[in-house]
Amino acid sequence: MTVHSDVAHNNKNYLNHETTLWSWLSTVDHKRIGLMYLFTITGFFIVGGLAALTMRMELASSGADFLSPEQYNVLFTLHGAIMIFLFIVPGIPATMGNFLLPLMIGAKDVAFPRLNLLSFYIYVVGAFMALYALLNPIDTGWTFYAPYSMQTQSAVILMTGAAFVLGFSSILTGLNFVVTVHRLRCPGMTWDRLPVFVWGLYATAVIQTLATPVIGMTLLLLIVERWLGVGIFNPAMGGDPVLFEHLFWFYSHPVVYIMVLPAFGVVGEIIPVFSRKPLFGYKMVCYASVAIALVGFLVWAHHMLVAGISDTSAIYFSVITFGVAIPTAIKVFNWVSTMYKGSISFDTPMLYAMGFVFLFMIAGTTGIYLATLAVDVFYHDTYFVVAHFHYTIQGGAVIGLIAALHFWFPKMTGKMYNEPLAKIAFVLVFVGFNLTFLPQFVLGMEGMPRRYFDYLPEFEGLHRLSSYGAVVNGFGYTFALLNLLGAWIFSKKQAPANPYNSLSLEWNTQSPPIHENFEETPSVTDYPYAYGTPVEGGGH
Amino acid sequence: MFRYLPEQGSKIAPRVDWLHHWITDLSVLFTVAVCGAMLYFAVRYRKRDGKDHETPRIEGNNFLEVIWTVVPTLICIWVAYYGIVIFQDMREGEGEALVVNATASQWKWEFQYENGKSTVGELVVPVNRPVKVVITAKDVLHSFFVPAMRVKKDAIPGRYTSVVFTPVKTGSYNTFCTEYCGTSHSGMLAELRVVSEAEYGRWVNDRSADLAKLTMDPATLGSKLYEEKGCNACHSLNGSRLVGPSFLKLYESEERKFADDSAMSFGGEFSIEDYIRESILYPNKKVVAGYPAGLMPAFEGQLSDGEIKALIAFIRKQDGSAAQSEEATGDSGEDLQAKLAKMSPVERGEYHYQTKACIGCHSLDGSNLVGPTFKGLYGKNREFVDGTSGAADAEYIKSSILNPNGNIVAGYQPNLMPQNYRDQLSDEDLEAIVEFIRSKQN
Repeated sequence: MTVHSDVAHNNKNYLNHETTLWSWLSTVDHKRIGLMYLFTITGFFIVGGLAALTMRMELASSGADFLSPEQYNVLFTLHGAIMIFLFIVPGIPATMGNFLLPLMIGAKDVAFPRLNLLSFYIYVVGAFMALYALLNPIDTGWTFYAPYSMQTQSAVILMTGAAFVLGFSSILTGLNFVVTVHRLRCPGMTWDRLPVFVWGLYATAVIQTLATPVIGMTLLLLIVERWLGVGIFNPAMGGDPVLFEHLFWFYSHPVVYIMVLPAFGVVGEIIPVFSRKPLFGYKMVCYASVAIALVGFLVWAHHMLVAGISDTSAIYFSVITFGVAIPTAIKVFNWVSTMYKGSISFDTPMLYAMGFVFLFMIAGTTGIYLATLAVDVFYHDTYFVVAHFHYTIQGGAVIGLIAALHFWFPKMTGKMYNEPLAKIAFVLVFVGFNLTFLPQFVLGMEGMPRRYFDYLPEFEGLHRLSSYGAVVNGFGYTFALLNLLGAWIFSKKQAPANPYNSLSLEWNTQSPPIHENFEETPSVTDYPYAYGTPVEGGGH
Repeated sequence: MFRYLPEQGSKIAPRVDWLHHWITDLSVLFTVAVCGAMLYFAVRYRKRDGKDHETPRIEGNNFLEVIWTVVPTLICIWVAYYGIVIFQDMREGEGEALVVNATASQWKWEFQYENGKSTVGELVVPVNRPVKVVITAKDVLHSFFVPAMRVKKDAIPGRYTSVVFTPVKTGSYNTFCTEYCGTSHSGMLAELRVVSEAEYGRWVNDRSADLAKLTMDPATLGSKLYEEKGCNACHSLNGSRLVGPSFLKLYESEERKFADDSAMSFGGEFSIEDYIRESILYPNKKVVAGYPAGLMPAFEGQLSDGEIKALIAFIRKQDGSAAQSEEATGDSGEDLQAKLAKMSPVERGEYHYQTKACIGCHSLDGSNLVGPTFKGLYGKNREFVDGTSGAADAEYIKSSILNPNGNIVAGYQPNLMPQNYRDQLSDEDLEAIVEFIRSKQN
């Protein structure tokens, strides 16, 4: 494939070919739907982030400061529920995935465009239910563990109902993507020429389609129990609370791969472009995504190693969990090897990708502690888990999303952002993030339990450090997002069709793309990473 | 590097930490290697002068792929194996264990020992003996976590789970609830006290505190709680206005007016007892007109039914008959001074015996509780832990009250008796107590 920097440019694009509000609300264009998701989930990211910042302020010193324990418990529930169900699960797939998937495989749209719009509106209904639930806030934690969720006075039914509805949005998006990847690849786009981001989305879509129904069913049972008083999970009525944990984690463990697999894909797209080198071990990277998705289904009860499951089950789930570590390690090694003998430039997306590698090394290695049975007994439900989780999801999925937003910003908006400001924002995010969560690893090592409104005085120094970090981190995200928004609205700098000389198909059309994506159906003859001069034994 | 784990309080702890530190060192090694390589490549192969240089189309290397699949796999197998072996030893313990039952409820830990003794918020075990804590919960999920012992297990209503550990050092250790359980989750702490075998034997067989509470009449228990729980800081017994409404004649009131302009009369479906109980457990449901809301802590989950009844009985007694309110207020007020002045020394001594907590540890019937009995004490020859002996005369009794650790009677523990009686008792009071003890010769 050759670099297409000479794409014809006309003034019509997907943003301006129709401009009425109705044209947006009724659009079946995957690019517009992606943008509508993007703005919606960014709103929820801000709400969930403010909840987190408020908690960190309360935790900056020991004792009660300005919140009551009840308010604190509501805040960490809202932070978790909003960030998980409304922000990071739709996260990369519904925003960047919607926008890019058809472009990357040379298609005009997803397989079921109207279903795609329906997914969005189901999401909106779920979001409104969640917002309404804020009026009578819920304090169960985002895990809704029984029997506490049966006893508390708060709006459990409404919030779990919201998560139930949001699940359908996720299932339909997953289904749509699976069919799209199978049916709508352009001529020449064989499976071993698919971009790794598409492989990541595909693995994600499989999990969304297969795992989400389980959480839907579980939450429905919870609602039935609370509403009609049928004893399913509440031991006082003959139910089994451990059963709830099993069903809950059967979805909620795979869901972390829904969050992070697309981010792996983003990193796999960015590093080759800015290294001018083929993605090292392309096939291994692709298969690793699928392996993670499959193994991810078999490890759910490692969230319950001290929760009253038998010692034999605990041993099984510990061993299988290590099975996730191997493909993840393979991915990291391949990304780094891609840079070997490259011609590396440090544009903002590349900085985020390199930051991602560092953060994910910490996320991955700390996962080993938690998979190790004897050590997990100590770490379960401590701040160590909180820090590990945030390194994977914020350091992984959120940093991946921010990297993707910068990388594809020219394609989505047709504008270029201010590079120096974006780099400053990156430094703030990176430093702030580490300052927030590295101390939390140490807190966990010292035995500090999670979900604590108050703590013993000896933990105060590290908590305060973490709170300072959260402020820097929050400031960094604000800065990064305002920089992008400002560039979109005010920048006069028109983005070329292919500002990075990438070989991937989405750059083979104008920026921003026309409504139909491509003037004529593209075809491909090689995979999109054929950078550099051919050497002996080359070819993949 | 990164050695922040808490002190090793149990036999298994050094082995857990050994594996933990191996994982730490391997993690640091891999992270430094991967990120080091990345940074090295980034600097070495950076784009110079804004122009791309030629790059080789290296698409992969099967040998490397095999290496970096197999090596991490072998390391993971090794780590997983030891994780399982140590876990199994942790679960089994060694030898016959002392069994203690732990019951979690919102938001306290109750421990019950094999002889029936029970404690709240305090687990006492002997050193160097395996301890098995059998855990269950009354209401919602909780989790029992002792960082120093490296053990943790969820408490599940309707099920029994357990942890086993062998403490190796005497001392006091933090115990946390690590499964979110509602409002006061972070306050659900307990203390694990590891003591010598001898001290454990003495402690577990000392049932005096249980007995004292069992034999107390509700109103007396209520007056004790009134002080222990800090009610006295805000609720007076003589009608004076403090932060909250006085308890004086509260029980007789037929109607209360509340801050939200509502009012309630008692005696119908909602009795005054219901009202008092609700106000203790959920103080913000009905705030009395003229008083601020949100100040009183909710006692939900912190008082047993019996304790609430005792408080109600105590409040019922505050009916305005002077003697009772004085007795309950304890040791202040001019009337009380006048009354004490009228008493004989023996009566005054008895008053102090009951109100200064002597009664908790020193019996009058010859039984030995935490401290020696007062029966027949006066004039008796005493043997002390340091091997000396002496007669229990007036001087001995007075000095034992003011400086309890001066001479510890053989067979008893030091440091248990309060050492601040100098601030509470005048010389006259001391004389009165001596007279009281002298009166208990048989």
